[in-house]
Amino acid sequence: MFHKIAMAAGLMIAAAAVTPVMAQDYPNKPIEFIVPWGPGGGSDTLMRIVGLGLSEVTGQPVPIINMPGVGGTVGLKEFAKRPADGYTISQIHEGLLTANKTGITDLDWDSFIPVALVASSPQYLTLSKNDHFKNLAELKAYAKANPGKVRAGVTLGGVPHLHMAMIEDALGVQFSYVGFRDTGQRIRALVGGNIDIAIGDVASAGEFVKNGDLLFAGVGTEERTGEEPDVPTMKEQGYDLQMAVTRGVVLPKGTPQPIVDKLADDLKKAMALDDIKAKMKNAGSDNVFVGEDDYKAYLEKLDADVTKLVGKLQG
Amino acid sequence: MLDAFFQGAHQVFAFDTLLYMLIGSVAGIVAAAIPGFTVTMAIILTLPLTFAMEPLQGISVMLAVYVGGYTGGLISAALLGIPGTPSSVATTFDAFPMARNGEPGRALSLGVWASFFGTIISTLVLIVAAPPLAIVAVRLGPWEYFSLIVFALTIVASLVGNSLIRGLIAGVIGLGLATIGPDPMMGRPRLTFDMDLLSPGLPFLVVLIGIFAISQLLGEVEVHGKKVNHALIPKSIDFKTWEVMREVLGRPVNLIRSSMVGVVIGALPGAGGSIANLLAYDQAKRSSKTPEKFGQGIADGVVASEAGNSATAGGGLIPLISLGIPGSAVDAILMASLMVHGVSVGPRLILDHADLVYGMFIALTVASFMMLVVCVASMRLFLRVTDIPKQFIVPTVMICCVIGAFALNNRVGDLYLLGIIGLVGYILKCLDYPLAPLVLGVILGPIAETNLRRALMSDGDWTVFLTRPISALFLAAAVLSVIFSIRSIWKAHKKDNGQKGAVV
Repeated sequence: MFHKIAMAAGLMIAAAAVTPVMAQDYPNKPIEFIVPWGPGGGSDTLMRIVGLGLSEVTGQPVPIINMPGVGGTVGLKEFAKRPADGYTISQIHEGLLTANKTGITDLDWDSFIPVALVASSPQYLTLSKNDHFKNLAELKAYAKANPGKVRAGVTLGGVPHLHMAMIEDALGVQFSYVGFRDTGQRIRALVGGNIDIAIGDVASAGEFVKNGDLLFAGVGTEERTGEEPDVPTMKEQGYDLQMAVTRGVVLPKGTPQPIVDKLADDLKKAMALDDIKAKMKNAGSDNVFVGEDDYKAYLEKLDADVTKLVGKLQG
Repeated sequence: MLDAFFQGAHQVFAFDTLLYMLIGSVAGIVAAAIPGFTVTMAIILTLPLTFAMEPLQGISVMLAVYVGGYTGGLISAALLGIPGTPSSVATTFDAFPMARNGEPGRALSLGVWASFFGTIISTLVLIVAAPPLAIVAVRLGPWEYFSLIVFALTIVASLVGNSLIRGLIAGVIGLGLATIGPDPMMGRPRLTFDMDLLSPGLPFLVVLIGIFAISQLLGEVEVHGKKVNHALIPKSIDFKTWEVMREVLGRPVNLIRSSMVGVVIGALPGAGGSIANLLAYDQAKRSSKTPEKFGQGIADGVVASEAGNSATAGGGLIPLISLGIPGSAVDAILMASLMVHGVSVGPRLILDHADLVYGMFIALTVASFMMLVVCVASMRLFLRVTDIPKQFIVPTVMICCVIGAFALNNRVGDLYLLGIIGLVGYILKCLDYPLAPLVLGVILGPIAETNLRRALMSDGDWTVFLTRPISALFLAAAVLSVIFSIRSIWKAHKKDNGQKGAVV
């Protein structure tokens, strides 16, 4: 079976090299979707749903190729080498920017053409059940009185680290960081009482909050979220912090504009399908669609934020 | 409660669910039987199909693949001497010699029955004791994990084969190899020499295939000169299915101990089947009256390894079902498939979706029976592998290994690594170095490092390792284990010397 896939993939690449690209009949063959993360994680689950929707709209299969390694950069490096014909697409999130700024990779968001932002998972400041603080104000007071005592679970050098550094910066306190690879691990440690605070999301921590094991102290969105209407935003509490993991589809540099537009259009249709909307929601993402230009603007602003805080990430 | 139980049963025992499960079971067994293909890969291929199914139906099919996969690895372990999956490393130690001694049928049967009982025992533990076990598992911090891994490292002593020194060297090489690539905490490159090839590190599966499969296959073609037209294994004898079942059940202590090791290791997120089979084997060897027979084709070795790895299936579901915390990559995929259907997996799963949880228990049991039936019915077919002459089987298996290594991460660089590691493994094997300690080092090294660093980040105080009771317990077990090993090596030495003295 893998024989066949490998052979088919080989043929596809060979065919792509010789056929001239035409936007009107794009796509007329399968689109490979390189997900630079391992199976079972947030990116993988969400992008499988996006792939499903794209396949439904275009009528072409969209096989997901997991290519994990070095914070998502191995897959992207490979992706950058693929022909810019629209038949290989990939995905980036905030992690690429932090990886770039901390010197893990030379690739940056503008090494690719951002096509559309298709998924956004709001991030929550999550507290363990403890005797010292139950909300943001109490956390601030406790952390002020006990510098370096609050143990914060993050992915060192990753997006949660960035978010935590933003909070630390805004509150004017000092946490001590403990490294975890993914959100699941962090939430587990938080439930087990091995750390005190962490960045979490509804998909991984929501059930624990409902059960009273954990607390959400604030969410990094403009307005309160539909899933957790009782959780105040960071903004309401006086800190204008945007904390979300957003995932967007990218194409290799040099892809003809008509293809970029057609793909953006197909993605827009896909993300509007009811079934896809429900599935995205279930997997912890808001139903969003941000087109090429606005997505670029978002990434530019993010770039500035990351640059400002990069010193904190290298500790 | 009974209501939910029947609802779950009703969904699992639907004709289409059972049919899909059967297909899944066969797929899991076949995927795991091919060296280089893993259970995780089979499950990933199943995942998109489950998007279109009812949640319980999807999960049932995945569980069938899962259970089948934990057994399939035994087939190539016994017949080719190559672990089909990371969880069947210890199975090669005794099942392969047994097959070579002319009892391939018995080796397979033993493994299948041990797997079956291992799954059943783990399912029972899951049903009876999931919530309390999960709460203990989640409380364990980096201190306990580090101490557990220290203990697990001491089992190298059981895997060294002929020479303690060579075994320890192999273990250290393994630990060293594991440090190549991005460091587990910060993602900073280490020992990569700015080479793209080394920058993602050495994937564990690539090391496993390279070390075991490539070296074993090269060893098979060593005999040159005349054309060898014979099979890898002398002759096939029948399986004595029922006789072997009695044989397996006749070792209740080993069976239950190994299964419990599997359940506990499975329940600890992050460890999983690849450690459980080795730990179970080690425990069986130490408590055996005839430890010197381990490695020569003893039934206890096969039973321990296979019961141990299959029991991690149920064990891994313990934290998943009671807390919504996946214990392994496979469990994470199971969880993702539920989430996509809008089932929130968390501490309230059993309250909010009791029918689903009971359905999973039922599906796990059904899946193990299916595995048993499929294996018993198809074993004759698998044994035909032993009739195929070497010149066909060796290249075919080699191709599968290469494809499997690629399919893991879809990285071409991994193939070069596979070749290099395979060669290193072959050289080590020729020099009579045991390979299992090396693989153990590669598995355990990163877990130990991550947890040590995490522990010291959480609290700079070293004594915490000794003041947390469970951590102290593991460390004490590690010390005892080392003392025990030294004593038995010393004893063997004395016996050797005594015999030599008698001869001279």
